[in-house]
Amino acid sequence: MGLLETRNLVKSFGGVMAINDITLDLEEGDILGVIGPNGSGKSTFINLLTGIYRPDQGAIRFGGHDITGLPAHQVTRRGIARTFQNLRVFSNVSVLVNILIGQHTQIQNRLYHLFLTPLAARKREKAAEKKALGLLKMANLADRRDELAKSLPYGEQRLLEICRALASNPRLLMLDEPCAGMNPNEMDTLADFIRELRAKGHTILIIEHNMPFIMSLADRIVVLDAGRKFKDGPPEQIQNDPEVQDIYLGKEDDI
Amino acid sequence: MPEGTVHEAEVHAVLSARSKPRSNGTIKKKVVGLSAALVIALVLPQVVTNTYWLGLLNFLIIYSILCLSLNLILGFTGLLSLGHAAFYGIGAYTTAILMTRYHVGFLPAMLASAMLALVFSLFLGIPASKVRGDYFTLLTIAFGEIFRLIAQAWIGFTGGAMGIVGIPIPKVFGMPIRTETQFYYLGLILLAITFVCLTIIVQSRIGRALIAIREDELAAKSMGINTPWYIIMAFTIGSFFAAVAGSFLAVYQTTVTPSNFRLEESCLMIIMVIVGGMGNLWAPLAGVLIMTLATEMFRSLAEYRMLIIGGIMMLVLLFRPQGIFGSSAFKD
Repeated sequence: MGLLETRNLVKSFGGVMAINDITLDLEEGDILGVIGPNGSGKSTFINLLTGIYRPDQGAIRFGGHDITGLPAHQVTRRGIARTFQNLRVFSNVSVLVNILIGQHTQIQNRLYHLFLTPLAARKREKAAEKKALGLLKMANLADRRDELAKSLPYGEQRLLEICRALASNPRLLMLDEPCAGMNPNEMDTLADFIRELRAKGHTILIIEHNMPFIMSLADRIVVLDAGRKFKDGPPEQIQNDPEVQDIYLGKEDDI
Repeated sequence: MPEGTVHEAEVHAVLSARSKPRSNGTIKKKVVGLSAALVIALVLPQVVTNTYWLGLLNFLIIYSILCLSLNLILGFTGLLSLGHAAFYGIGAYTTAILMTRYHVGFLPAMLASAMLALVFSLFLGIPASKVRGDYFTLLTIAFGEIFRLIAQAWIGFTGGAMGIVGIPIPKVFGMPIRTETQFYYLGLILLAITFVCLTIIVQSRIGRALIAIREDELAAKSMGINTPWYIIMAFTIGSFFAAVAGSFLAVYQTTVTPSNFRLEESCLMIIMVIVGGMGNLWAPLAGVLIMTLATEMFRSLAEYRMLIIGGIMMLVLLFRPQGIFGSSAFKD
């Protein structure tokens, strides 16, 4: 039994089948790459898994529990964290506060704790801060902790967004086109960072357009086309699959 | 007695300042600034003995409480509420009615007022949390107008346009509050309590959740934040303290009338928060000071003074869109 299982997921917008009958398993500790041409349903797929959209049909099981149709904040509580295709850091607050917001589900302080047991509440905040700094150190962002997120270079904002997702201590991390808009140097940093995460045993689902990047990282690749699961296999096999090359890269005689 | 509470506020402020991972210099600056503000606030009525100016100070305090609480909704959570005056009014009317008709003491009446405002803010907040942006603002305008119209029309209960007069002198732990100076110190204590409570809230995980909602609601949800819940929370806490200000107004003015709680009042509070700065808890206080002084200075110009207030606001928005001391502008 995998960590994440989807069964016959269907989602349509108007008359368009954005996701059409996708059944997929993801094992703990794996890095799964999801590729596919524009409009093939990759982002919709992540949005379904994270509770931003509700599936029309089908089921999503995570860690043995049914999470189909749960709202986004509850999905995060169950242990799925994500980043967004269009960067969505909290721009007007500091780098550290971004991570602390990411730890929302990890800090147990409720309103009454703040006033009835202020010392215990402060202790929890301190512990969270310490953990946040640890995360920032891992991404080499620790010395920028007091800077506003929007003042960071683009690549570092991307890293910050991943750290913020990690701050919720997820069992599954989903990255939606983490390389988009990055320069080659930033991409290398990101690849190293993801390898580090893999070494620590994180389970990661990555949507990515950049083929060398995803092929070098993923243990397994799923190809989506027009909302359907088109291929599923190890990177080498997908890379050499003529059909994938047809739909994804275009037929040779098109060029 | 006021000194005691203020010291407590100081200690809290020092503690919370220390909790921020800032350099020692910034913390020192904060502590020095806060202590200076406290000393000035405490000795002010000894220096200012003119009743007119003391009265102005008391209104400054009322607006400070209102704008601090509005800042939680507007500056932190990013919700443009034009109904703040209604909760201010609910607080004032509840205290007025309880004290004049049922002879309830001031402190219990104030607590009851704040609780009632909390209940009403839940009535408004639950549906309002399902809509965003302009629709949210429209709902709050509607609520504010409904409140004012009820206050005006339900003559048997609220006294209609004449309002409620002859609110008795409040007693705090047996001590009657009569003079402007006594009201000043009472107001200062309420302001300090408001400030400390809101500071504790905004520096916690709850405050950060509100900021996350302001910055990007979808991302906030993905952080595990139950956004409607936190929107309701910000709204009810803000309304609670608005009612405290209203309660103080009732005993200070000894009368309440519907004209105290018109839409213009809500607008004025928003202007004060924007001019002072959003997102920084104490920043709206600067707006309160500037706008109140401007309003008073140009009182002789009658209607034209709104022109000057508008001018000040435009200058601030042009040159410092985040407000004088603010940390966040409206959505970029």
